[in-house]
Amino acid sequence: MLSPDLVESLLRQALKGGADFAEIYAERSRRRRMTVRAGRMEEAISGLDYGAGLRLFFGTEVVYAYTNQLTPEGLLEALETLLRAKGGLGQVDERGAGGLDFRKALPRGLHAPSTPYGEKDKRYRLERLLEAEAGARISPEIKQVEASLQEWEQEVLIANTEGTWAEEKRVRTRLFVLAVAQEGTEVQTGYAAPGKSVGLELFDLYPPQEVGARAARQALTNLRAKPAPAGTMPVVVGNAFGGVIFHEALGHLLETTSVAKKASVLADKLGEEVASPVVTYVDDGTLPHAWGSTEVDDEGRPTERTVLIEKGVLKAYMVDRLGHLLTGYPMTGSGRRQDYTFAPTSRMRNTFIAPGDKEVEDLIASVEFGLYAKELGGGQVKPGSGEYNFAVQEGYIIRHGRIEEPVRGAMLVGKGPETIRRVVAVAKDWENAPGMCGSLSGMVPVEVGQPHVLVSEIVVGGRA
Amino acid sequence: MTLEEAKRYLLRRAKELGLEAEVLFQEERELSLRARQGTLEEIKEARQGGVGLRVVVQGRMGYAYTEELSLEALEWALSEARDNALLAGKEGHISTGQALGSHDLLGEGLSAPLDTKKQSALELERALWEDPRSKSVLMGGYMEKEVRVALASTRGAEGAYRTGLAGMGGSLVMADGPSLKQGWDFKLAKEFHLLDPGRTALEIREKTARLLNARPLPTGRYRAYLEPKAMAGLLLVLSRSLSGKSALEGKSRLLNRLGERIASEWVTLVDDPTLEKGLLSRPFDAEGTPARRTVVVEKGVFKTFLHNSETAKALGQENTGHAFRTYRGVMDVAPTNLYLEPVGNLSLEKGVLVTEFMGLHAGANPVSLDFSLQALGLWVEEGEVRYAVENFAVAGNLLDLLQAIEAVGGELDWEVMGAAFGSPMVAVAELSFAGV
Repeated sequence: MLSPDLVESLLRQALKGGADFAEIYAERSRRRRMTVRAGRMEEAISGLDYGAGLRLFFGTEVVYAYTNQLTPEGLLEALETLLRAKGGLGQVDERGAGGLDFRKALPRGLHAPSTPYGEKDKRYRLERLLEAEAGARISPEIKQVEASLQEWEQEVLIANTEGTWAEEKRVRTRLFVLAVAQEGTEVQTGYAAPGKSVGLELFDLYPPQEVGARAARQALTNLRAKPAPAGTMPVVVGNAFGGVIFHEALGHLLETTSVAKKASVLADKLGEEVASPVVTYVDDGTLPHAWGSTEVDDEGRPTERTVLIEKGVLKAYMVDRLGHLLTGYPMTGSGRRQDYTFAPTSRMRNTFIAPGDKEVEDLIASVEFGLYAKELGGGQVKPGSGEYNFAVQEGYIIRHGRIEEPVRGAMLVGKGPETIRRVVAVAKDWENAPGMCGSLSGMVPVEVGQPHVLVSEIVVGGRA
Repeated sequence: MTLEEAKRYLLRRAKELGLEAEVLFQEERELSLRARQGTLEEIKEARQGGVGLRVVVQGRMGYAYTEELSLEALEWALSEARDNALLAGKEGHISTGQALGSHDLLGEGLSAPLDTKKQSALELERALWEDPRSKSVLMGGYMEKEVRVALASTRGAEGAYRTGLAGMGGSLVMADGPSLKQGWDFKLAKEFHLLDPGRTALEIREKTARLLNARPLPTGRYRAYLEPKAMAGLLLVLSRSLSGKSALEGKSRLLNRLGERIASEWVTLVDDPTLEKGLLSRPFDAEGTPARRTVVVEKGVFKTFLHNSETAKALGQENTGHAFRTYRGVMDVAPTNLYLEPVGNLSLEKGVLVTEFMGLHAGANPVSLDFSLQALGLWVEEGEVRYAVENFAVAGNLLDLLQAIEAVGGELDWEVMGAAFGSPMVAVAELSFAGV
């Protein structure tokens, strides 16, 4: 995208302007989205994102600029804007005098697609979407179905004054199916959305009819569900996307973004027991083809597997460059950003509770009265107080150790550090699922995951 | 190539290829200044822009966009848009356009010197610490955005406008003994000089401190008072059901309910893109329909969906001029400045005063309008705040809630979440609270 000469000259000029460190992140991304409704293609859009972000450090102060003008003049103008904003334009610092010796890390293709973009035409995609839509039409109560495909092919180049030169082509594909079930005036929805760092082989991994049927079954379950009861009770949280509870309640509290500012209730707790001893919590950016995996992070460092909590004891935080400068903790390849319009910050990649030794049936059987939160929607957390919430997309009452009638409208609320101590059992059936996570550096793809987990008590928000 | 050159090129090439085409340009300038412990921890200054293209081929619509303005990229966008149109199964059209003029809605609003803006960001952060209970400040600062939008089509539309916003806000954690609360707020205005860092910081501190030492709330049904921030969040969820596009797609529970009473008589909802100081006012929409005020709900009666030309035609109603599109997206419908009209008949008695809902994107279903949301709040009795309450969720259906509104305050407050949502405080007869 950019020549090494141009990159080197810009980085050196940043150093001359007094920066201690400078980085360029350039991106060219092709995106496609197609939506099928009522047996036909309703909308199709293709797009090209193209831009670069320049980040300069002066101690721990950061200045950031981005532009779509990737010409030498455009990039120089962005740099001068930054130096002017910092008040360093016209300054000459001799550290910028020497040459830069880039260590080029060639992409290894760890997550490369087996069916790349150009291999199948758009009609092939349309046919798969129509299959997903047809798959959802399993009952006359299913009144609306929407199936869409999102494809994202992102090429990045990251170079910095420490000699990092990293390039990567990241391909991600995701299928969404929304089913709306209706009976009389009652309307409920169901949803399924598998996604991986793969190409169109996604359709082989997740046959579209099955994805459609899964969304429809959930809508129908919710249509006959009663309002969830309200109150404090034991909750068995489902595997895969069930892990979103600990993404919110625990993961965000371990990012240096809040830890460095002592704005996390889990700051300064390395080596302490912060969770139930049955909990081991891992953030792994290296899982092959996972939705949140990359070869290098958005600061150009190889991604890693980071064990955050081992048997209840806090072992590590997720650390980006700024977090490292502020805390001294080693960087973990966790610097991530949505795109060139954001400076990176420490973010989760694929974060999950490791498998335990229990059977799912035993977890359910041990509950006299409680909630089985089979599928969860999204959630939110305030790291400073640990308060979190998330929605139950598909839930059932557990009575006398058995899963009984479906309930809807349950919202789980609590304080993360309390909830993670109340995990009393972890099953064996570990699975991950994709999601989008929003924070300071924008929306990034992540996986969340876990086996089935039993929490002794959580406040369930339903109808009182 | 400049955006202006790209526009001329795309329209000329579209005509050569026999396509109807509409081109939307956006150019944004962003400045953000984030302060931490008395220094600016992040200064961001940036420009971004791109062109969005819609073309009609054989009566069908296709979309593409590009931020790269090389000839090669523009040709790619044209051919992708055409391919996408040929794949589409739905008819589409580009409306006959008109000259819409060039408008400046921003003026000198953001013209203060950079140093003054830096000082304001630092002052706000400093003022967030001015309480012994302030434990950490996550962020305090200033941001501004200037946007230039231009629209042109092969069917005669031609217009442009410039607008922008300035904002100040921050987030902090306050502690009183073991009790911890995290609070945030962001104030937006059309002009820099209307912002007041000291006052904004004081408000954030007060709004956070009042939630300290909260007690659990017993599960039950209580009268609820929703502060403007909480109500604005619900209006955002409701706005999806007010969209003619959602109605067409079978995703609105308000379909076939025009003329019916869907809310209590105290509810009048208006969307007004022409408000003089409206945070998201605009002279015309994304298809070039001139802006005008729309009464959506009048004294509880549902008057109209928000429409673009396509949804209006399909549902046989009048186009309200709410076509919405960014250069990266497809044609949609969205409100601009949507607000609940103040009434002034509200007085606090006994119940839960909800200050903020959390987890709206997950806990409120825009199709069914069911919600179950974590909330922060205060217990009020005899017209006074007695103590804070926490660890509870509020559940119900938004249409039931609108019917149960029994009083509306007299003062509008605005929140920007995509569109600008305005509301006074609202009293709801009864809501279901889940706590201990």
